[in-house]
Amino acid sequence: MKVGKVIGNVTLSHADSGLRGGRYLVVMPQGAKELTGQNPSGLSDAWALVAYDNLGAGVGDDILYVEGAEAMQPFEHRTPLDAISVALLDTYRYEPPQSVT
Amino acid sequence: MILARVDGHAVVSIGHPSLKAQKIVLCTPIDEHGADAGSPFAALDPIGAGQHTRVFITTDGSWTQNSVHDDTSPIRNQVMGLVDDAE
Repeated sequence: MKVGKVIGNVTLSHADSGLRGGRYLVVMPQGAKELTGQNPSGLSDAWALVAYDNLGAGVGDDILYVEGAEAMQPFEHRTPLDAISVALLDTYRYEPPQSVT
Repeated sequence: MILARVDGHAVVSIGHPSLKAQKIVLCTPIDEHGADAGSPFAALDPIGAGQHTRVFITTDGSWTQNSVHDDTSPIRNQVMGLVDDAE
C-alpha cells in the first residue's frame, strides 16, 4: 500500500464488463517530501499512475492504493488491473527521525 | 520481506472492508544499518509498533488475506514483528 494524491480522472467510453461500478483516477505517488509537507503541491518527480476506484475519491484527495497482482483480489472474476484505491485518507502523520533532504 | 522503520500512521474512514478496525502505519524502508532505503509505504499493524521502531514487514498478500479473514482483501503489507537487532 502506498499513499497517493488524486490529480485527475480518466473517462472511458467502453469498459470491460468486470470493471463496472468503478472509475479511474490519475494518482501521483507521495514520497517522503510530499508526506512531510516539504512539497505542498503534492506533485513529485514520480510517474503518475492510473488506479481503479470504487470508493468515490476525487481530485485533491489523498488515498491508499495497491499495485500488483493483489489489485484484482476484490473482484470475483479475473480482472486486468495494475492498481486499485483501497482507502480514502482522513488524516495521516509522517515524521521521520531526522529531516529528509 | 522488508525491513522498515515506523514513521507515522494513517486514519481512514472509507476503504476496503478488510481495513475496518485495522491500525495502519506509514513506514520507511531501511537497510541493515538503519539508513533509509526507499519510498514510504503503508502497512497493517496488528501488533502495535511504536513510532520510530524498526519492524519486519511481509509483502505476501495471501498471508494478509488470511490474517484479516477476507479472501477479497487487496492488502499486501503487514507488520510481522519488531526488530531487536539487524546486521
